[in-house]
Amino acid sequence: MFALIVLLSVLLPACGGVLAGGRDAVTIYSGRGSSLIGPLLEEFSASTGIPIDVRYGGSAELALLIAQEGDRTPADVFYSQSPGAVGFLAGEGRLAPLDPGVLELVDQRFRDDGGLWVGVSGRQRVLVYNTELVSELPTSVFEVVEEPFAGRVAVAPSNGSFQDFITAMRVTHGDEVAARFLQALATTGAPSYANNNAIVEAVARGEVPMGLVNHYYLHRFLAEDPDLPAANHRFAGDDIGSLLIASSVSVLEGTDEPEGARRLVEYLLDAEAQQYFAEETFEYPLALGTSPVGDVPPLDTLEVPAFDIDRLGGGLERTLELIRDSGLDG
Amino acid sequence: MLRLVALAAALVFAAPLVFLLQQAVTFGPPVLDALLDASALGPALRSLLLGTAVAVVTAVIGSGCAWLVTRTDLPLAPAWRLLLALPLVLPSYIGAFTLRAALSPGGLTDVVVGVSLPRVEGFAAALGVLSLLTYPYVYLLVAARLRQLPANLEEQARVLGSTPAAVVRRVVVPQVAPAVLAGALLVFLYVVSDFGAVQLLRYDTLTRAIFANLLDRPASTAYGLQLALLALVVVVGERAAAARVRRLGSGSSPRGTTGLVWSLGRLRTPAVALLGALAVGALLAPLTVLAYWAGRGIVLGEQRASSVLADPAQLLAPLAGSATAGVLAALAATVLVLPVAYLVARHRGRAPAVSNALVVSGFALPGLVIALACAFFALRGPAVAAWLYQSLPLLLLAYVVHFGAQSLRAAQVGIAAVPRSLGDAARTLGAGRLRRFLRVELPLAAPSLLAGAGLVLLSVLKELPATLLLAPPGFRTLATDVWAATEDAFWAEASVLALVLVALSAVLTWLLVLRRADALS
Repeated sequence: MFALIVLLSVLLPACGGVLAGGRDAVTIYSGRGSSLIGPLLEEFSASTGIPIDVRYGGSAELALLIAQEGDRTPADVFYSQSPGAVGFLAGEGRLAPLDPGVLELVDQRFRDDGGLWVGVSGRQRVLVYNTELVSELPTSVFEVVEEPFAGRVAVAPSNGSFQDFITAMRVTHGDEVAARFLQALATTGAPSYANNNAIVEAVARGEVPMGLVNHYYLHRFLAEDPDLPAANHRFAGDDIGSLLIASSVSVLEGTDEPEGARRLVEYLLDAEAQQYFAEETFEYPLALGTSPVGDVPPLDTLEVPAFDIDRLGGGLERTLELIRDSGLDG
Repeated sequence: MLRLVALAAALVFAAPLVFLLQQAVTFGPPVLDALLDASALGPALRSLLLGTAVAVVTAVIGSGCAWLVTRTDLPLAPAWRLLLALPLVLPSYIGAFTLRAALSPGGLTDVVVGVSLPRVEGFAAALGVLSLLTYPYVYLLVAARLRQLPANLEEQARVLGSTPAAVVRRVVVPQVAPAVLAGALLVFLYVVSDFGAVQLLRYDTLTRAIFANLLDRPASTAYGLQLALLALVVVVGERAAAARVRRLGSGSSPRGTTGLVWSLGRLRTPAVALLGALAVGALLAPLTVLAYWAGRGIVLGEQRASSVLADPAQLLAPLAGSATAGVLAALAATVLVLPVAYLVARHRGRAPAVSNALVVSGFALPGLVIALACAFFALRGPAVAAWLYQSLPLLLLAYVVHFGAQSLRAAQVGIAAVPRSLGDAARTLGAGRLRRFLRVELPLAAPSLLAGAGLVLLSVLKELPATLLLAPPGFRTLATDVWAATEDAFWAEASVLALVLVALSAVLTWLLVLRRADALS
C-alpha cells in the first residue's frame, strides 16, 4: 500500500506534465458542444496547422472559470453559447478588443460596439408547438400569458436563452413590462422546464402543447425522428419573442497566442465555416453574404426585432433578480 | 501523530469552504444581503426536506435489499448483488430524463402499457427518482457490514431461545445501525448537492438556486454558503446520533465464517417481486428508454450513433479516460481518508469532529464549486500547483475532495466494527500501532474499504462539472461524451454512450469490488 502511494505520487505529476503540455496551442474554452463545433475546430487546426486545445463546458461555467483563473487563464479564445456569459466576462475586464477587420464581417447588430466580441451564428427564439394539439397560434409573445394560451406555454426560466430574451424585453419595453410578463407567466401557471431540450421533448410527447425555445432544437429532434408531431412558429414582425440570439467568439485579455486566436475568429466567419453552421447546425450564419438552408428563412428577409444584441450582455443580474422576484418557479 | 496526519489530510478537504468564504469576503455586503433575505430560505428548506426524505426512504430500501441479498436464501443472490448496486452508475440527469420520458404523459408507460400518469415533477417525483438512484449507498454499506458480522452472536441468541425477530432486533439491528446511518448521510449529501435531477424535475433546492444565479456571484455565493452550513449542521447531528448507536455494539467475524442465513420460505416470491420492482424502476426503465432511443436512431440511420457501432474503437479514448479516472480516484480517496477514518472511528474530541466535518462538506457542495475552488488554489498557490493545473493529478484531487466522504463513511464503519479487544490482544503480544492497524484492523475492515472505493469509483464515472473544468486538454470520459451528445440533442448517440457507461460501471464494480469482497469475507 505504501509502495503504491509512493509510486502514485511520483507517477501522477509526471503524467500531469505530459498531459498539460501543448504550450503553443490555441486554447479554446467552448460553451458550444463538441458534437457540432468539434469538427469545425478540427478543420481549422488541420487547414492552418495551428494546434488547438478545446475545453467544452457550459458557457456560464466556463466564464466563471475564466474569471477565477484571472490573468493566468490558459484560455486564448472564449466561444460562448449565450450573450450573458460574454457580457459577464466583458464586465470582468477579461476580454481583449478584436481586430476591426474581423468585426466588420458581421452586421453591427450582431457584434459588440466596444469590439470585445463578434457574433458567429444565430438562434431565433420561437414557439415550438405540438401539431396534433394546437390549431390556434399567438401572433405576439405577449399573448402567451393571455387566454386561450395562458398556462399552456412552457418556459425554461433557468436557461440562458430565456434569460437573454427577458433582458431583451427589458431593454426594449422596460423593466416594468418584463416584470409583469414574468409575473403573468407565474400566476397563469406556465409550466416550466429545465431547458430547451426538455421543452421540445415534452411538446413532442404531448405533455405540454407549446413552449418558448430556440429554433434549432426541433431540427435536431426531427433529424432523430422525422415523425414527431412538432413544429416551430415564429412570432410576427419585430415581436421581441422572435429575438435572434448570437453565439459569439472573443479573445481573452493577455492571450499568449494572439495571432492564432485572431485567425480562429476569422476562420469561424469565413464562408466555409458559415456554410457549416447553416447546413449542420441549422443556425443563421451571421457573416454578411451567407444564407441559411432548409426551411430556415434567410436573415435578410427575416423580420427580426431591431435590437442591438450587445445590450444583452449587460444587466443579466437584474434579469435574474426579476425572475427570482416574479415567483416563476425556475 | 495520528491526529496530525488526519488533520493534514482533512485540511485538503477544506478547500471548497475556504474558497466560498474568500468569495463572500470579496463580494462583501451583497452576499450578506442575499444571505439575510428571508425569501432565500425557501431553497434551503426544500434542500433539507428533500435530503431528509430521500435519506429515510433509502435507509429502508437499502437495508432491506442488503438483508435479503446477504442473509437469506434469495434465489440468484450473486446476480442481485450486482443489479442492486448498479442504479448508482446512472448520472442523475440521465436517470431523471429517462424516467420522466418513461413515465410522463405520452411516454413509454403511456404508449406501451396504456397507463397515463401525471406529469413527473416536483417533490414527489424528485423523492422517487433520487431514492431509486441513491439507495445503493445504503445497500452497499449495509451489505458490507452484514458480511462482516460475526455469526456467533446470532447463534448464541438463537440457542438461548430468542425468536428470529428478536435476534434481528436485539443483535443485528444494533450492529448494522451505524452502516445505515452512514449510508443515509451519504444519500442526504448526494441529494443536497445534486443538480441534474432537481433541475429536470423542477424542485427548487439550493443547487438550483446556485445554478440559476451562476453569473450573479454574490447571490450564488450566498446560496453556496447556505448549502455548506446545512451540511455542517447535518454532519454534527449525524455524529451525535452515530455516537449513540456505536455504543450499542461492535463485532467482526474472523475470515471464513458467515452470518446466519435465513430461509425465506413462503416469503421468497414476494421478496423476489419486491427486488424485481426495484430493479425495473431504478434500472430497467431508464435502460429501456435509452435502448429505445438508441434503437430508433440506428434504425433511422442516425449517423453518429451508427458510427459508434460501426467503429467501436472510437470508444477507446472515453473508456480509458473513465476507467483511469475512476480507479485512480477510488484508490487515492481510500488511502487519503484512511487516517481520518481511523481517527473518527477510534477517537473522540475536536480533531476527529473537525476532520470528519471537513471531509463530509466536500460531498455536500456541487462539483462546480469544488472545481472552481481547485482552480482558485492551484493558480494562487506555489508554482508547482499552477503547473499541475488542468492535469490528471489535480482532477483526481478534485474527485477525492468531492467524493472522499463516501470512502470515509465506509472505512469508518468498517474500522469501528473491529472489536478493540483484538487490538488490545495484539498490543499485549507486542505489536506496535501501525502493525496492529495493518495486521488486525485493515484486513477485517477490508470489505468496507472496498465498498467505499466502489462508491467513489461509481461516482467518478458519472461526474461531470469538475471533469469538464479541470480535465487535462483532450481528456474525455464517457460522462463528458454523453453530456456533449445531449447538449446538441443527439439522443441516439447519447443513449449508446450511456449504455456503454452502465456496462463499464457494471464490469468494474464486479471485477474490483464485488468479486474481491467475496474473497475477503
